[in-house]
Amino acid sequence: MLDDVTKDKPVLTLEDLSIEFPTPAGVVQAVKALSLDIHKGRRVGFIGESGSGKTTTALAVMQMLAEPGRVSGGTIDLGGTNILELSEEEMRRARLSRVAYIPQGAMNSLNPVMRVEPQMWDGIIAHEGHLDRAELKRRSDAALASVGLPLHTADLYPHELSGGMKQRVCIAMGIILNPELIIADEPTSALDVVTQRQVMQTLKAIQTQIGSGLMLIGHDMGLMAQTVDELAVLKDGELVEHGTVRQILQAPAHPYTKDLISSVPLVGGESFLSPDARADAPKRTSSEPLLRFEDVRKDYGSVTALHPMSFTLQGDTPQIISIVGQSGSGKSTMGSIMLGFNPPSRGRVLFEGQDVAGMNAAQSLDFRKNVQAVFQDPYACFNPFYRVNHALKFPYKQFGLATSEAATQRAMEEACAAVGLDPELVLPRYPHQLSGGQRQRLIVARALMLSPKLLIADEPVSMVDASLRASILSNIYDLKDKYGISILYITHDLATAYHVSDYVMVLFKGHVVEAGPPKEVIGAPQHPYTRLLIDSIPWPELDRSWGDGRTDWDPANLEAEAARAEAIYRGTVPGFDLIEEAPHG
Amino acid sequence: MSRIPRDYLINRLVTLVLTVLIAATIIWIIPRLSPVDPAEIALGRMAAGAGSVANSEEILAQLRANMGIDQPLIVQYLKYISGALVFDFGLSTAAFPTPVSTLILNALPWTMGLMILSLLITFFIGNLLGALMVWERSPKLVKVAIPAAMVFTSIPPILSGLLLMWIFAAKLQWFPLTGAYSIFVEPGWTWDFVTSVLHHGFLPALSIVVVTFGFWALGMRGLMITVQGEDYVKLAEAKGLRPRYILYRYMIRNAILPQITAFALKIGLLIAGQVLVERIFAYNGMGKLLYDAILNQDFPVIQGVSYVIILITALSVFLVDLLYPFIDPRIRHEANT
Amino acid sequence: MSTANMSRAERRQARRIRRFDNPWLNPKLIWGASLLFSIMIIGIVGRFLWDLDLVFTGSSPLKLPPLGFENLRGQPGVIAHPIGTDGGGRDMLAMVIIGAPNTLFVGLLASLIGMSIGIFLGFSAGFLGGRIDDTIRVGADVMITIPPLLILVVFQSAFGDVTLTMMALLIAGFVWQSPTRLIRAQVLSMKQSGYVQMAQLSGASTTHIMFREMMPNLVPYLFGSFIASVTTSIVTAVGLEVLGLGPQRIPTLGRTIYEAINAGALIQNLWWWWGIPTLLLGVIFIGLLLINLGLDEVSNPRLRRLS
Repeated sequence: MLDDVTKDKPVLTLEDLSIEFPTPAGVVQAVKALSLDIHKGRRVGFIGESGSGKTTTALAVMQMLAEPGRVSGGTIDLGGTNILELSEEEMRRARLSRVAYIPQGAMNSLNPVMRVEPQMWDGIIAHEGHLDRAELKRRSDAALASVGLPLHTADLYPHELSGGMKQRVCIAMGIILNPELIIADEPTSALDVVTQRQVMQTLKAIQTQIGSGLMLIGHDMGLMAQTVDELAVLKDGELVEHGTVRQILQAPAHPYTKDLISSVPLVGGESFLSPDARADAPKRTSSEPLLRFEDVRKDYGSVTALHPMSFTLQGDTPQIISIVGQSGSGKSTMGSIMLGFNPPSRGRVLFEGQDVAGMNAAQSLDFRKNVQAVFQDPYACFNPFYRVNHALKFPYKQFGLATSEAATQRAMEEACAAVGLDPELVLPRYPHQLSGGQRQRLIVARALMLSPKLLIADEPVSMVDASLRASILSNIYDLKDKYGISILYITHDLATAYHVSDYVMVLFKGHVVEAGPPKEVIGAPQHPYTRLLIDSIPWPELDRSWGDGRTDWDPANLEAEAARAEAIYRGTVPGFDLIEEAPHG
Repeated sequence: MSRIPRDYLINRLVTLVLTVLIAATIIWIIPRLSPVDPAEIALGRMAAGAGSVANSEEILAQLRANMGIDQPLIVQYLKYISGALVFDFGLSTAAFPTPVSTLILNALPWTMGLMILSLLITFFIGNLLGALMVWERSPKLVKVAIPAAMVFTSIPPILSGLLLMWIFAAKLQWFPLTGAYSIFVEPGWTWDFVTSVLHHGFLPALSIVVVTFGFWALGMRGLMITVQGEDYVKLAEAKGLRPRYILYRYMIRNAILPQITAFALKIGLLIAGQVLVERIFAYNGMGKLLYDAILNQDFPVIQGVSYVIILITALSVFLVDLLYPFIDPRIRHEANT
Repeated sequence: MSTANMSRAERRQARRIRRFDNPWLNPKLIWGASLLFSIMIIGIVGRFLWDLDLVFTGSSPLKLPPLGFENLRGQPGVIAHPIGTDGGGRDMLAMVIIGAPNTLFVGLLASLIGMSIGIFLGFSAGFLGGRIDDTIRVGADVMITIPPLLILVVFQSAFGDVTLTMMALLIAGFVWQSPTRLIRAQVLSMKQSGYVQMAQLSGASTTHIMFREMMPNLVPYLFGSFIASVTTSIVTAVGLEVLGLGPQRIPTLGRTIYEAINAGALIQNLWWWWGIPTLLLGVIFIGLLLINLGLDEVSNPRLRRLS
């Protein structure tokens, strides 16, 4: 099956590995008879959803399974050593020196009260005893340099580093003793797309340089395609498919693998949506535009999160306007300003001609009824004290939509059914009993029940499992398509914005840098910043040069260049007018 | 101290000054609201001493003038505040004419000595035990015995003091019942005196330690559980660091931070508890001074002692706050940006 | 592997986890509540079964030991005074029946008032923000460092005798700071939470958000804070009483201890005089601690795994 790999001895051999967790309900088999080799210098991706056993496998190799998990069968062989037979002290010595672990939560993976340098040194000292300072310094500096960090990083505390820098420090720590195997557990899941590309390039380059094996755990097929040589697909603790990345992408054998591949939205290519009937917008009594920004600006202290922006959304035909950008671009600030949660520092936000900041009680209730939202975190959106139907029932009654208890119940059931949930199964539950996907669908159902005129969807799918994203997005798309609701879609994900939107605005440091119909802006970007974003997305296209270990690719330079470029306006769509910003300088 | 951010420093200073000022004011206002006239109490004491007092009205007026309570309130207040700043609380009425500040100055070293010793020991032992309760590698005994002992640590030191006093002083007579040193030794830096002080101080200190370490242990236990689940502790383990090193440098070092803040908040209650222990052991500190003053209705002393104890509390809190940025680099950063 | 051949430890753990399905069925919580409850029962039932006039000075023989013991003069305990009498000729049982509930009463009343102030100020600070928030925050920070005992000592030595209720009111003036800080912090973090934003989107009023969305989630914290202030209040009250302050004519556990120490009960080996009130106070404090530990486990599931 695997063609050109067997010339080296494997650095890791898993044979019939089984891992189980005893629970009150019985024993849960987290990993079932998993067999796999990782060879020297090879990168092997473990892909699967949360709960598929991929992280559990990695922790078993580290002998760091959380209680009460245990290896119930099989062997783990690390370069000729049977790990399961090592004593605690021997295993401690093997960690870092033979197998290094690069953690998922780079944000919290460094000791907050220690500078970077001692945190790199203590790893060396724990394995090689006390070396002299100059030697320690030489090695930590070399490690920092190898991940492209400036040497003064050594004297900083973790909170003084950005997310990408922290993750690169973790990589530098991991390779400081030249391990045979590196385990990277979703190393970029907390980073934005540009930083992700940079960190992955660093990781690939350094792994190639020291020639160790790499076990990369992840859920993003695109990232895998751009990074690894071999792919292991896990589902419910079972290895369902294993082969070279090319082989799997071109001819996936298992239906689950096919699902994984097709769930990655691509720019261009086939849409995951199936546009239906074009619904009309709800009958509007006002001739005023639905939403209007008049020179809206937001400052936080001396930092300007949003530079003066003006646009008009007419709202006569339902539209989806996408606002894309990285964290810190001001896109979420825009969202909270539109919802009236966050008053603008200057300028006005008008809803149907009425200033959002100066509404009386009746107008305010009307505004609330007509402007609804779907937030990023489906876990936080439900009050843990109530059953989930509270979140649907309460606004329905509050806005005077309920005629009777039975009618409310019926409306809730219909809304659930419309987003693909079984109302009887879901509605009487408490939030913690539902999955993230189910909760987010319920929030969409809630919006549907209230049938607002405008919906603000702020990163609605970034926290749900990859395989569910497409279907939840199509639920949201249906709100426009079937129910005629205008939507402002705030996202970092250009590929989905490409498919769902009628108009796209790319935000960078509080400025619109490129705007227009998605086919133009995302399909053929012109602004350097938009190009940077698009270049950074890992697509499952094998022949693209995404992370080939180039070291001249420096996002900081590219961003600085982008900041100098003028905004580019790529045409308009009827019903939405963005006022062009005056050229700067 | 350039490492402490200015805003932070100013903020803490304001809190310190406000605390002392408000406390001093409350202490001053309360007696003024009372229907009891201190001059009449003094007269009563004279009458009790002399059998009877002639022309009592004149004497009352004279007493009021001496005490300064015939002046307008605002003048009294300003005099009091400016006096408090230089620790001038007037003269004791019971031990007339000893200045209150002299009495306090004599009692203060005893209280401070006992406080520093018992508070620091408690904090150290409590946090260490709390940490060991959570640490996976600590001996089983720690995990079984300490939580059981914890139950008794809810009782205030005054009760444990009584119990210890009864067992070790009254019954077994291992330790003296009361006092801070034996009346048979001359105070001074002599071997006899020092051992006598230690001998007398042991039980009061022990009665504070046995019941308050549990408060810290419980708090530490909760914090350690949180820290144990942190990513940086997992990564430390993945780096193959030695378990003991992880315990000290990664876990305790982080878990202790909120405990230090709690220390600042708790200090007032702990000192108050100690005052009571001093009272039952008739230890020559502020507690005994306060108790005697209450018995004699010696108001200037009550005021002075209360003021000084509150001042000590506020200063301790301030010191902890000053120290904090040095042990938590994030505070320095936050205030700088 | 099935449930059948799980080891004993695993089964015990399974049972433990199942018990957490209803977190309020926490053994510590139940034990703590029972201890406090039994103190109250003594107070309530005792009133009907015992002659409370025995609480007056000189109503009984002096310094009788509890049943089954002898005092230094060789007098045995008698059935008419089953737990002895004090140096003033008062029956200890009558003293306990009246004194123990008094002590609890002061603690509960002071904390109820303190909590109400705390809830009010905490919500005000969290919701209104700005100057009001600053004032409340600094006020709480300042007041939290002032030991209540000292201020109360000044107060009571200036005013002389106080009633139980008055003492509770005075103590209440010093137990609002912690709840205020706690609630303020919780309100500020909840204000940012998704479900409060959702409620705002649903057109909910501020009162709805405060009492229907936030309050239910605050309950474990409020309980914990309440129990902690009951402890502080009782400690303060007992402290005052042991200094000879507090109510002078009403029997309380602290005052009994005060009188015992003053009469030299320790040297005369009249252990029941100070020992019985000390024991009861101990039971009250242990009960309160157990409730607090139980509540901690209810609101912080991570603690449950360990004990």
